[in-house]
Amino acid sequence: MTTPQVPDPATLAPSEEYDLYFGPNHPGIEGNYSVRVRLKGDVICQAVADGGYLHRGFEKIMEDRLWVQNIALVPRICVPDPVPMEESYARAVEMIGGLEVPLRAQWIRVLMLELSRICAHLFTFGGNAATIGLYTNMFWGVTMRDLFLDIFEEITGARIYHIYITPGGVRRDLPEGVLERIEALLVELEERMPQFEDLFFNNAVVIDRATGTGRMSAEEALAWGVTGPNLRATGVASDVRRDDPYLVYPQVDFDIVTETGGDALARMMVRKGEVVQAVKIVRQAIAALRKVGGPVRCELPNPLAWDLPAGDAYARTESSKGELGFYIVSNGGPRPYRVHVRGASSMHAVQVLEKLLVGSRIEDVAQIMFSLDACPPEVDR
Amino acid sequence: MTDKPLKSHVRPPQDTMPGGAGQGCPAPDAQTRSIWRRIMDDFADHCRARSLFVLHYCTGCGAIELPPTITSRFDMERVGITPMVTPRQADILLITGYLSLKTLKRVILSYEQMQGPKYVLGFGSCTINGGMYWNSYATMKRLDQYIPTDLFIAGCMPRPEAVQQVLLKLIEDIDAGRANAWQDYYRNYDFYLGNQQRLFGAGWNTPTDVIGEARHYGYYGPGTEGEHTRLLAEGGGSAARLAHAEYPSTALTGRIKS
Repeated sequence: MTTPQVPDPATLAPSEEYDLYFGPNHPGIEGNYSVRVRLKGDVICQAVADGGYLHRGFEKIMEDRLWVQNIALVPRICVPDPVPMEESYARAVEMIGGLEVPLRAQWIRVLMLELSRICAHLFTFGGNAATIGLYTNMFWGVTMRDLFLDIFEEITGARIYHIYITPGGVRRDLPEGVLERIEALLVELEERMPQFEDLFFNNAVVIDRATGTGRMSAEEALAWGVTGPNLRATGVASDVRRDDPYLVYPQVDFDIVTETGGDALARMMVRKGEVVQAVKIVRQAIAALRKVGGPVRCELPNPLAWDLPAGDAYARTESSKGELGFYIVSNGGPRPYRVHVRGASSMHAVQVLEKLLVGSRIEDVAQIMFSLDACPPEVDR
Repeated sequence: MTDKPLKSHVRPPQDTMPGGAGQGCPAPDAQTRSIWRRIMDDFADHCRARSLFVLHYCTGCGAIELPPTITSRFDMERVGITPMVTPRQADILLITGYLSLKTLKRVILSYEQMQGPKYVLGFGSCTINGGMYWNSYATMKRLDQYIPTDLFIAGCMPRPEAVQQVLLKLIEDIDAGRANAWQDYYRNYDFYLGNQQRLFGAGWNTPTDVIGEARHYGYYGPGTEGEHTRLLAEGGGSAARLAHAEYPSTALTGRIKS
């Protein structure tokens, strides 16, 4: 179908129901994504997720590029939370190539992962508040996140796409004095947390609108492939950092935040708790980085003529959206033979969203999508 | 389905347009207009440059740098720019990054709905030459082949400062009467339509009557109609009706095809 057509209403059978495109240029939708809903009054009878607006064919174009060239490509898969993509890809390559990451690089990776988690949650916090009309929160969340982006810029040279984590370690060591600045920023974040709490989490409007919205049970969540904060909001204490530890996470002390509600409010509460935990982890990483020295990258062969041994590997990371996985097959050549990306959002924004929307009201569509923290570029890839 | 014709070339000749034969509401020639008209135009440009609405449609990665640009830290509203949710009331179409073919269709539809004068900004390397996705099968490579583009912002990802700078440059251009790329769409519609047809097939058609608008505004030129618009006249309408018959919008079963 090449032409959008407006059907002549006179030719249609009489009905109380009508179809509506929610998105793609709707301000409440998270990125370039759309949901086609069938409404009766303002209650949704049926919803069909309509993705593909952001499809770039990652898995195919990665097969055409060298192992090092792909480092620049992978963070583009999920724009608000790019570090887990780099880390997963790098770790899958390390597993195939048998590379050993130096201890200092592992701690730097943990630091970057948790800072990225804070950024992504602040962004979702702002977006979620905006979907129920609380625009002040959006301004606060985005501005707070921007201060973290400054730290990223100082460490890596870029605000969004860092391209910092490479197979074998990280690109370069931390600049001098950045640890102190991160600590100061964490203090600032903690000072603002009570304000965020007053403005959002204790807000009567939020509690009214979000309680019971988009509720799912733990059984449903497990059956539908839900992971990450959305699964923890149903009471299941599942976290890749605990279940299948990577890097130095076994040495890190943190709690898995769970809630039992399974609704939009519980999901946001889990994210709030995760920001607190991430701050705790970042502090431990800073303490460790002050003690642990040494190189930040192991010796690599000439990256332009780098043939990885044949084999395959699956590396998974707990991203802010859920479990992120890279399955990479190498046939011994300079390029991947096959790459598969398991994006957490592809479950959340398609099958879960379609089910949660049924029975909810049209004004809650954006809120449900934001509370699932679905990232459209990760869905379409 | 309706048998209403979709495009102007199947309509009666232009003397039924308001204002007589081909005289809809023509813009006067920039060189020959009267002094009074020139003063009015300059004043209109001056005002227009200070109140711009950006269409709230984020097509790609670049969307991530727009919230910082709009919100407290960089605050685009200081210079009179704020998001707008409908294309009909928006002035600026900001193409934030790569466009997959599915998105490009929506972008063209939104662009044609916007009222002139309208401005297109290409954001990031992807709109200039394909950027990171130069060999992707799913994205278009050069934005200015499909819709006329006023300014580009280089980089991946351009910083909020870069976005601000290009918006200030656009304001300057509008004020000086230089941001006229949108007229090119009317004058060379055949070129743009040809490129669109190469991607979407010969049956590609949009509800907007671009040729009629070109006549109406007085931007009808030798490049407005050509071999590609002829194709539109021959098969566009019927092909569209055929496509509609295959996927009636009342059936919401299964995946959406596009």
